[in-house]
Amino acid sequence: MTLVVEDLHAGYGRVPVLHGVSVSVARGDIAALIGPNGAGKSTLLRAATGMVRVSRGAVRMDGRDLTNAPIETIARAGIAHVPEGRRLFPGLSVRDNLRLGGWRARNEDMGTVLELFPRLHERLDQVAGSMSGGEQQMCAIARALMGRPDFLLIDELSLGLAPVIVEEIMARLGQVAAEGTGILLVEQDAGHALEVAQRAYVLENGRITVTGKAAELAADPRVRAAYLGV
Amino acid sequence: MTQFVQATLYGLLQGGLLALVAVGFSLVWGVMNVVNLAHGAFVLGGAYVALELHDALGLDPFVSMVPAAAVLFALGYLIQRYLVNLVVNAPIFITLILTFGLEMVLENLLRVWFTPDYQSIPTGYAQDSLRLPGDIRIPYGKLIAALLAVAVTVALVYFMRRTRTGLSILATGMDRGAARLMGVKARHVYALTFGIAAAMAGAAGAAEGAVRTFSPADARSFTLFSFVVAVLGGLGNMWGALYGGLVLGVVMSWGSQLLSGTMVNAVAFALLVVLLAVRPQGIAGKAFYASRVEV
Repeated sequence: MTLVVEDLHAGYGRVPVLHGVSVSVARGDIAALIGPNGAGKSTLLRAATGMVRVSRGAVRMDGRDLTNAPIETIARAGIAHVPEGRRLFPGLSVRDNLRLGGWRARNEDMGTVLELFPRLHERLDQVAGSMSGGEQQMCAIARALMGRPDFLLIDELSLGLAPVIVEEIMARLGQVAAEGTGILLVEQDAGHALEVAQRAYVLENGRITVTGKAAELAADPRVRAAYLGV
Repeated sequence: MTQFVQATLYGLLQGGLLALVAVGFSLVWGVMNVVNLAHGAFVLGGAYVALELHDALGLDPFVSMVPAAAVLFALGYLIQRYLVNLVVNAPIFITLILTFGLEMVLENLLRVWFTPDYQSIPTGYAQDSLRLPGDIRIPYGKLIAALLAVAVTVALVYFMRRTRTGLSILATGMDRGAARLMGVKARHVYALTFGIAAAMAGAAGAAEGAVRTFSPADARSFTLFSFVVAVLGGLGNMWGALYGGLVLGVVMSWGSQLLSGTMVNAVAFALLVVLLAVRPQGIAGKAFYASRVEV
């Protein structure tokens, strides 16, 4: 059971961003995709979930071809995407946001995700747009998990969040993966992502430049210098 | 004093019905960012469905609100799915031109089918009045129309907030891309929204048919009133449509006491201009849809 992105070429209009990127995540694993601003990390996620057109290459989930399928078809196939900027429904309550997360799967049972993120419990009736950044990120991930996805793609989880919150959320993601969901973390701030991930990729200028076990990458002097600020 | 109370009551009743006329227009604008200039033609469509059912089966126009809503729902769904969806991502100017053309086609089809003459749907009771102390009279027709209209509008609000389908419509209106990521089929939601809006218009039209005369040329004024109500109440805000309808109804009713017939429309638009200057987000004015994101 894997999500495979193979030789992916994609971009915006005539501007190509990705030049043949291959990434794969197995269910139950966490993979980290790190790289500098503008490398094409978000574009990769957007292409994988149908938000950006793929011009060449393929997106496959367990052998099923999802290349250029409509966004909702890919979501219904079991791939959840926590997009850049979270994209919560800001005028709706946390409860309604979670209900929408479970919309496709007709899942109204919030118990599991609230156990994962207990802070959301007190916030259920609060308007999502009024919460702190960390809470909004938790809500976005919880919303994605409400659909009981096989794969979870998260864009810049740590952006703008305090390190202690990032650690808290990352720890929860370990639990989620252990229960059988495959997670692809896209991060500019590589430290936390490399700690929880098994596998990691470095994306630079639309190409994968380094691949390997996350622990090996974390020890690689080049990666350390460029992405860990050590 | 009696005259003032009488005018205010009339205005409130008329306003309740205006809310139902406009709620679909506001919904479509808020959710799809489409200003549907054909909305008034949908209202008249409902009135003519009620007229036909009355002539053929002797059905009461208030009972005909249900079949009128059903017919208009189907019409609205199909028009959205196979026509408006083609341009729904286009700039608002393109959708304006399309719905303007649609309005002309529908209005003239009504002329061809039903003649341009004024029609009315007679009932045995609509002209009778409830007498209140102080020599105030409320015609039963207007009273029933207003109560039913407000009930349907309130039911729509609850439908949007409480049901699975309603929630998907709200979500799609706020952020279509994010809604699609939840597995919501935006095309279907748009067609459904347009269908619901047309159904509300159809029901409103049947009720209008019971309390006034109508002709195909009224399509435009229904669209204009819908526009004013939607902006008064705040776009896409369905409680707002109710407030907006009541305010517009009362203001027009007062205006008609003081001014000659055609000046009433001027009063309606003066109200719109003042409101846009003073409180552009509308009366209910929560920035519910302010954070729209296109994907």
